[in-house]
Amino acid sequence: MQLQLGKHSYHLLNEKALFRASDKTLIIADLHLGKAQHFRKHGIYVPQQSAERDYERLTELIQSVEPKRIILLGDLFHSTLNHEWIMFCDVVNMHKKIEFILILGNHDILKEEHYTQVCLQVKRGFLEEEDIIFSHHPLKKIPKNKFCIAGHIHPGVVLHGKGRQSIKLPCFHLSQNQLILPAFGSLTGLQIIAPGKEDGVFVVTTNIVMEV
Amino acid sequence: MEMQVAKNWFAYKKWKPHPFQKQTWQYIAEGYSGMLNAPTGYGKTYAIWFGVLQDFLTRTKNEKKTPKGLHCLWITPLRALSKEIENAAKAVSEDLNLPYTIGLRTGDTTAKEKAAHKKQMPHALITTPESMHLMLAQKEYGETFRNLQFVIVDEWHELLGSKRGVQVELALSRLRAINPALKVWGISATIGNLKEAKDILLGEESDKGIMVKADIEKKIQIETVLPDTLEKFPWAGHLGLKLGNKVLDIIRKSNSTLVFTNTRFQAETWYRHLLDLEPNLAGLLALHHGSLGEDTRKWVEAALHDGKLKAVVCTSSLDLGVDFRPVDTVVQVGSPKGIARFMQRAGRSGHQPGATSKIYFVPTHSLEIIEGSAMRYAVKNNKVEDRIPYIRSFDVLIQYLVTLAISDGFKPEEIFQEVKQTHCYQSITWDEFAWCLAFITTGGKSLYAYDEFHKVIIENGIYKVTNRRIAMQHRLSMGTIVSSGMLQIKFVTGKYLGTIEEWFISRLKPGDVFWFAGKNLEYVRIKDMTVQVRASASNKGIIPSWQGGKMPLSTQLAATIRHQLNEYEKGNIQDKELKFLAPLLEEQKRRSVMPNEQQLLIEKMKTREGCHVFVYPFEGRFVHEGMAAIMANRIALFKPITFSIAMNDYGFELLSDQDIPIEEAVDSDLFTTSHLNDDIIKSVNTTEMAKRRFRDIASIAGLVFTGFPGKQVKTKHLQASSKLFFSVFEDYEKDNLLLKEAYDELYDFQLEIVRLRNAFERIEKQEIIVKNLERFSPFSFPIFTERWREKFSNEDIETRVQRIKAQMEKA
Repeated sequence: MQLQLGKHSYHLLNEKALFRASDKTLIIADLHLGKAQHFRKHGIYVPQQSAERDYERLTELIQSVEPKRIILLGDLFHSTLNHEWIMFCDVVNMHKKIEFILILGNHDILKEEHYTQVCLQVKRGFLEEEDIIFSHHPLKKIPKNKFCIAGHIHPGVVLHGKGRQSIKLPCFHLSQNQLILPAFGSLTGLQIIAPGKEDGVFVVTTNIVMEV
Repeated sequence: MEMQVAKNWFAYKKWKPHPFQKQTWQYIAEGYSGMLNAPTGYGKTYAIWFGVLQDFLTRTKNEKKTPKGLHCLWITPLRALSKEIENAAKAVSEDLNLPYTIGLRTGDTTAKEKAAHKKQMPHALITTPESMHLMLAQKEYGETFRNLQFVIVDEWHELLGSKRGVQVELALSRLRAINPALKVWGISATIGNLKEAKDILLGEESDKGIMVKADIEKKIQIETVLPDTLEKFPWAGHLGLKLGNKVLDIIRKSNSTLVFTNTRFQAETWYRHLLDLEPNLAGLLALHHGSLGEDTRKWVEAALHDGKLKAVVCTSSLDLGVDFRPVDTVVQVGSPKGIARFMQRAGRSGHQPGATSKIYFVPTHSLEIIEGSAMRYAVKNNKVEDRIPYIRSFDVLIQYLVTLAISDGFKPEEIFQEVKQTHCYQSITWDEFAWCLAFITTGGKSLYAYDEFHKVIIENGIYKVTNRRIAMQHRLSMGTIVSSGMLQIKFVTGKYLGTIEEWFISRLKPGDVFWFAGKNLEYVRIKDMTVQVRASASNKGIIPSWQGGKMPLSTQLAATIRHQLNEYEKGNIQDKELKFLAPLLEEQKRRSVMPNEQQLLIEKMKTREGCHVFVYPFEGRFVHEGMAAIMANRIALFKPITFSIAMNDYGFELLSDQDIPIEEAVDSDLFTTSHLNDDIIKSVNTTEMAKRRFRDIASIAGLVFTGFPGKQVKTKHLQASSKLFFSVFEDYEKDNLLLKEAYDELYDFQLEIVRLRNAFERIEKQEIIVKNLERFSPFSFPIFTERWREKFSNEDIETRVQRIKAQMEKA
């Protein structure tokens, strides 16, 4: 599925990420890594294997699209420092040629040096490039000739059909000049959105992304 | 043997013992173990108690001094009951000035009392299965139980069908090892498998054990409360409240009435409704259910006992327990689901010996009226359900092993021999036992990397826990009753009201008003896992619904309903329920067909919603759930199709947006019993269902920790965590015994596989009638209006989304 946002065209990937082919930029939101360890610290034991799957998915995605840089739209690491951070660093170190940029989200509470140690560039607030604003939080006011790409929401929709059927799926949510990405991490929930009439909703199914 | 002590006391009370009491005393005196089957209210406690006392007095005489230490352990399922038994037993000791001391050990027992027990145990201790296991978690418990002569298990039928029954079995296996001469007596109400109940409790000694049956028949009179006019299109839950005025009439003319409902939601609704109809009842009508605070419940029970209340609206929370003498009438709202349960509730009235128990049945939709008639037939013909015991509950075993490791430690070979004597674990192999040992020492195959699962260490062949934190966590989480995400409700000022399910509160916004404990409450905030509320003057509120409570019809009751419908078909219309229902059943005939016992009716109909297929096996909700899924799967072999499935206790509905080829399916063995097991696995989302069951297992086996008192972990998180364990075991350790247990429980208790197979076998022999309907039939209507639905699909998500999209565009 391709979408024209501002000057560039973007691929909506069913891996729950966005890809700009023109400069090979991969955009991912809300990984919420480290959550399993975070839970464990609070007495809730989440087995390691399930957490490891997110790193595998991330690696597979990187290897399949071969980006030159990756923009992480916040909520990368959902915890204080724990040993999962090393697993993420391993992923980064495996791909030294790729430029990693993190826009801090509300859950990113690690110290700045942790990020910089692995050559992760950190931006507070948002990152503005040409006509695009990359942000963790969706923006309320966006300048007329600008377009915002954001995360934070974990958007999802429920589709209702005949015969009392319904399906709940994660989605990309496009409003006037803003696109909200689905959360990448698997230890995250869905927030069911109520899209406006003019909005675009693109659901993520097993194999493809579809507009509904 | 002279039963002097009993004779003295009965003479003092000017009572005459029943024959069954005399028999029981005699057998106990002669050193037998056994089982007493007697209805409540006829002195079954005394039948056992004096046997125990006589044994003690004989010992005193022989040893020429009063023996010290624990002599009798009396296990009850309820704290309220233990208090009553304590009072009765103490009264005897005081009346006769006996040196026999009695103590209580339950969750309510204070630390001070426990310390006193440690110094000097009373002769008899009244306790619960949970407290019993906590005693096994204490250092030098062997010393405590060294002179124990008797274990009495009260209301064994209640414990038998639950994991608390397994706890009793395990505790007995340990106590028998400490004192091989231990005598065990059970007390049970009538159940279908009474003999098995005795075998399980007495273990290897059962052949020598005695069964004493009280020859007392309790008379039960059943009256169905009929509406003035018959609604031909029944709507679940629609009818009940309309009968409010009739229930009020019953309350008015009775001394004191118990109004039983099946769910807490219904209880709250009826309490409100009765007060709205008759405001004068304020102060005379009370509410009682399991989510209310203990203070409130105790107050209601005391007031009921003293005859201060005209009526109490309650749930199964009052099924068991202390007798309320002033109660002379019982009302059952909605299907009682089972015969034993109905009789138990009926028995809550008319306690005077020889008195008739009167019970009124209030149907919640008109088709349910048939159940009044079915119940009368069942009671008359003594058809009572079995209680199915749990077997191979590895979660309870794991908990038990850690318990023993906390106190004095254990030697695996010894404990293995002991648990193999129990019914629950008679088939356990050494390999399986060794798996459990590995699980508590290293976390097993999947969890070895985590220190928190290395609970037990091995020192000189003894398995023990040395870490104090692990021991404390274990003590706090012992037990087999796993509560489902309850939050406390308190007034902002701090007064405790009760508990409520987390998911209900999560839907509320501050300022919302809801009904709880019969009060209007405004939701203020959640703080430290406590819901803070204040009283509200608004009279519009939502009533919380509690999950669970959807019990299926029992096999016996379901069969009886089919029998009564068949009687109607044969023209054998005696009961007033059947006469009253005639217009509805005739309407069913007009619009469709009224099936007899040799027929299975399937109705097909098209509406704007799509294609509906209704099937009526009359087998209860759970069997219908499995049957519907299997049918959906078999029909889906004809074409890719998506269904939504609704069911009640009488039948189920498959609804699809496409045509359902039911005729073709019926022609090609839709109901065959071959490949049934395979088809179940293919059609029911067993993984998802087992995952849900796994939550309790994970909690009992100590995989998830529910938190320290006052610092509970959110259930949402617990659930997430037990689900993840489940997935990991699925992916990496298929032979994990806890995982298997989740599936076994699912098959036995939820899919009721045996019952499902029987139902398929029955249908295989029946004539199948497929009827195309123009309009809804009276049978189909209540299922059609069920809002809660299951899903089945063999289409991929992409196709379904495409079609839903197309439908949305058309609309």
